[in-house]
Amino acid sequence: MASEQQLPSIKSSKVLMVGAGGIGCELLKTLALSGFQDIHIIDMDTIEVSNLNRQFLFRKSHVGQSKAKVARDAVLRFRPQINITPYHANVKDPDFDVDFFKQFNVVLNGLDNLDARRHVNRLCLAADVPLVESGTTGFLGQVTVHIKGKTECYECQPKPTPKSYPVCTITSTPSKFVHCIVWAKELLFAKLFGDKNQDNDLNVRSNDAASSSENAEDVFEQREGEDPEQYGRRIYDHVFGYNIEVALSNEETWKNRNRPRPIYSKDVFPNGLVQSNGNADKVTVTEDPSSVSAMTSLGLKNPQDIWSLSENSKILLEALKLFLGKREKDIGNLIFDKDDQLAVEFVTAAANIRASSFGIPLHSLFEAKGIAGNIVHAVATTNAIIAGLIVIEAIKVLQSNLNNCRMTYCLEHPSRKMLLMPVEPFEPNKSCYVCSETPLSLEVNTNSSKLRDFVEKIVKSKLGMCLPLIMHGSALLYEVGDDLDKAMVANYTANLDKVLAELPSPVTSGTVLTVEDLQQEFTCSINIKHRDEFDDEKEPDGMVLSGWTQAPSKEKDDNVAVSNGVSTSSASQSTAVEAEDDDDIEIIPTGVAFVSAGAKRKLSEICNSNSHSSVGEGYCGEKNTAVMDEEDVVVMLTESNSDVSKKKRLQ
Amino acid sequence: MAEPKTKYDRQIRIWGEQGQTALEKASICLLNCGPTGSEALKNLVLGGVGSITIIDGSKVEEGDLGNNFMVDESSIGESKAKCVCAFLQELNDAVKAKFVEESPESLIEMNPSFFSQFTLVIATQLKEPSMLKLDKICRQADVMLVVARSYGLTGLVRISLKEHTVIESKPDHFLDDLRLNNPWPELKRFAETIDLSTADPVVHKHIPYVIILVKLAEEWANAHNGSLPSTREEKREFKDLLKSKKIALDEDNFKEAIDASFKISASRGISSNLRKIVDDSSAEVDSTSSDFWVMVAALKEFISNEGDGEAPLEGAIPDMTSSTEFYVNLQKIYQAKAEEDFLAVEKRVIDILKRIGRDPASISKGNIKSFCRNARKLMVCRYRPIEDEFNSPTLSELQKYLTDEDYSIAVGFYILLRAVDRFATNYNRFPGLFDGAVDEDISRLKTIAVGILSDLGCNGSTLTDDLINEMHRFGGAELHTVAAVVGGIASQEVIKLITKQFIPMSGTYIFNAIDHKSQLLGL
Repeated sequence: MASEQQLPSIKSSKVLMVGAGGIGCELLKTLALSGFQDIHIIDMDTIEVSNLNRQFLFRKSHVGQSKAKVARDAVLRFRPQINITPYHANVKDPDFDVDFFKQFNVVLNGLDNLDARRHVNRLCLAADVPLVESGTTGFLGQVTVHIKGKTECYECQPKPTPKSYPVCTITSTPSKFVHCIVWAKELLFAKLFGDKNQDNDLNVRSNDAASSSENAEDVFEQREGEDPEQYGRRIYDHVFGYNIEVALSNEETWKNRNRPRPIYSKDVFPNGLVQSNGNADKVTVTEDPSSVSAMTSLGLKNPQDIWSLSENSKILLEALKLFLGKREKDIGNLIFDKDDQLAVEFVTAAANIRASSFGIPLHSLFEAKGIAGNIVHAVATTNAIIAGLIVIEAIKVLQSNLNNCRMTYCLEHPSRKMLLMPVEPFEPNKSCYVCSETPLSLEVNTNSSKLRDFVEKIVKSKLGMCLPLIMHGSALLYEVGDDLDKAMVANYTANLDKVLAELPSPVTSGTVLTVEDLQQEFTCSINIKHRDEFDDEKEPDGMVLSGWTQAPSKEKDDNVAVSNGVSTSSASQSTAVEAEDDDDIEIIPTGVAFVSAGAKRKLSEICNSNSHSSVGEGYCGEKNTAVMDEEDVVVMLTESNSDVSKKKRLQ
Repeated sequence: MAEPKTKYDRQIRIWGEQGQTALEKASICLLNCGPTGSEALKNLVLGGVGSITIIDGSKVEEGDLGNNFMVDESSIGESKAKCVCAFLQELNDAVKAKFVEESPESLIEMNPSFFSQFTLVIATQLKEPSMLKLDKICRQADVMLVVARSYGLTGLVRISLKEHTVIESKPDHFLDDLRLNNPWPELKRFAETIDLSTADPVVHKHIPYVIILVKLAEEWANAHNGSLPSTREEKREFKDLLKSKKIALDEDNFKEAIDASFKISASRGISSNLRKIVDDSSAEVDSTSSDFWVMVAALKEFISNEGDGEAPLEGAIPDMTSSTEFYVNLQKIYQAKAEEDFLAVEKRVIDILKRIGRDPASISKGNIKSFCRNARKLMVCRYRPIEDEFNSPTLSELQKYLTDEDYSIAVGFYILLRAVDRFATNYNRFPGLFDGAVDEDISRLKTIAVGILSDLGCNGSTLTDDLINEMHRFGGAELHTVAAVVGGIASQEVIKLITKQFIPMSGTYIFNAIDHKSQLLGL
């Protein structure tokens, strides 16, 4: 790699690393030792204790500091002659625009979330800069290369998005522990400690009658002169007792379900007070507010123990008390964070109490933390391997040696005698809405959905845009930006609350909307189609976007989602067809978005049915394993049959 | 943070507290702390191994700064082992880090007993003669050996030890142990207490699919002379039978039953892999046998007695649509059967221990329990001594690799990695180090490679000139990118070996950084 003839292209190159975490630390070191001289790093995170088992540039004394800056300093200590420019910032900040990206020869991603990956992908496409993308989870990992017009872009293939649950499952009819976690984290925790102005469905189903909704708002506020103990027990009785009673009164719901059991604090603590306050105050009096723990003050040590209902109840009340007492200033703007011990304790306890109520098995803090934080296994070895491969690919890209570029998958168990699985990059997907400008279509009730729903649920959440601009023909419906005058802002704000069909320039069936993101320099068109009814359970958004490549998201059981990989996206988009000869099996796209010869690919390139011990009937989807990447995002891993991987050459 | 182990949280999610404890007890020796060795060791230090000992006799030179992150300008002229050791110690103060400033070659030669103190030795960048000696020493002392090497754009990782037994192999895909193909009396009896034709729709949609399948498999067997569905046609008919019992469209429990219906037709008894293990000669135990084999011997007896041909039941059931009451009862039945099987195995373990003159309490309950839970997934890995492989590789495999387009590059590098060592023995340097001797070096390297092939019995086989030129061009360089990957893979295998979890690689792993087509060669 670093032999003499290659050095100039490395030395003179300017590279951007996005992410200075597990992969990033290894990557920065490997770049420095491979002759790179000008390296820029963006990372918004600060260092956590749980990073130290793999992010080797960081020490205990660095906890709380900027990852990008500490990583730079650590490498400069050993290689002072290199230029490293750190940015302790979010890659989605407007400063990092297309012009910023254009200065680099290659961009290397070591990111931990889908959102940022998509954002960087679009900027790389707009700036025409090659992207080397990566991810790991446990012993699994992958490196892929994306070059505009020559290979797939990051979004050409569907990416499973985090599972979302129908609101009513969460608010009234949980059947799995994960539902209780979502309730505890997204509803109860957010209601008590988060932004008070955020919509919250905590009381939606339990207060069916609109009459009591005004009172319900006050329930969660601490009253004048109410001590934390009383407040906690009142909240407890409200959410685990009263709300369940209200829900039970709706007989229709329980006709086909097991009825939950209301739990009141007096049932759990028949002898009055939970425990004395003195203990907790003494223990934590000198501690840093970020390290207070209800477990510590109650003397519970092992996070792998499953607590009883009464222990969970104590933890919940204690955690609430500690939030009020030690972290008062955080209340109102807390967002659940898996590294926030007290938050994890609160959510674990709340989820377990709710689980008791619904007859769902309880879980330990360790397990609950894994579920609530979407925690993905991470180990130094895999990151080291993946970072090495990223640099090898980056060097090929810089030398324009595209024929040798590979997407590489790192496996846990050798398959067909291979531990690393190389696959030649695929051509761009001609129906990709990101790199091929293919229009999307949206089914929506134009007479009831507001522009705000469209902006939040589609433009931001599904299309991943930050600074959207929405146009209907030449009429501007919505825009975000710093330089807008007041009248415009007022006008757009008013539009947000209008239903689509009543906008100044009405959006109805047949309308084509243009949605643009100014920062990403990315535009797409959406064909609107009116539909009256939507299924609450299956289509909780109340609108359906198609042509947009989302994979079916399966629930995570042990944090590694096994779902369909590159080859089989959701059933509506492509279908595995069985044939006699393995080598001739094709994934034939059946969805509108995928019908183009270019999108066909050999199944045999992707999955190999000979050596696999899959359990069910042998269909391809089971052989592809989606890999959660370093912290929480899903990427794809496929089994490849090496002897045919040459069949589809890069053009 | 409440827990001192917070630092290891993300990896404990992979290998559990037990795996972490095993790591913390392990003592690792590294031979040569170039980039390959340093990187491998770094990953293990971060993960929290108990202690490390670095053996390297060289001093830091200017050239080391270009590929080894753990030395810097201020360390030039100092002991490399000392500098790398200091860097690693800084990464994790819970690890005991030591170094010995001596060349691995002379240590292997002069002080072979030195190695017996370690759990595992990682030998990097070691030439063939020393590697063969070390392999013998480690086998003698029952110390695990992992060999790793980076050479230009290629590299190699090979595990060498007599035998590695794995209880927690954690395979990717494994059929759950519901025993639907062979239900035991208590499960059948419980199924009989549940009425599939109940008129109550709430009860009906909450009958666990396990019960539905047990009941309908029996119904089927009664109508088919005791046999279960086996042909495609019969399986389809069985699914139709399942469908016919639905009383509403949205009964998830029946959907689950239909999806799982293939489980009733799975063949009974133990897998061929487990059969091989219980039939292994090591299962005939004596006082020198390991705990693993004592437990296998007990398992073997269990299978042919209480087990009635089956391994002990795992006892866990997956999530399924069910009422809480049914689920809890079902769970109890599975747990009771697993407990009963465990007690039977435990009794046999104790009897065997007595028979072979060991303390009957010397294998803990916990270990026997874990063994029973994982009985279907046991793995035994054995590795040939490296010298045997080098002198007499499995010829049929070698010839297959040489002619198979997929493997030819990997096997080519395998031969050439040996050839450069012979070259170095003959000429005291690696090929390609001097610009002046290009043609001469290439032809010498080729002659040596062809010689090795014919020694191995592959007369007339040769390697492509491209590959030989490529190997020559590498000039023995240890590139950081390749070292990071090879070191990473080596450390990953070390973790599998020490935690005794997952299945370590078998054969020689050849890394190819040109197109990442990297294979395991089983020779």
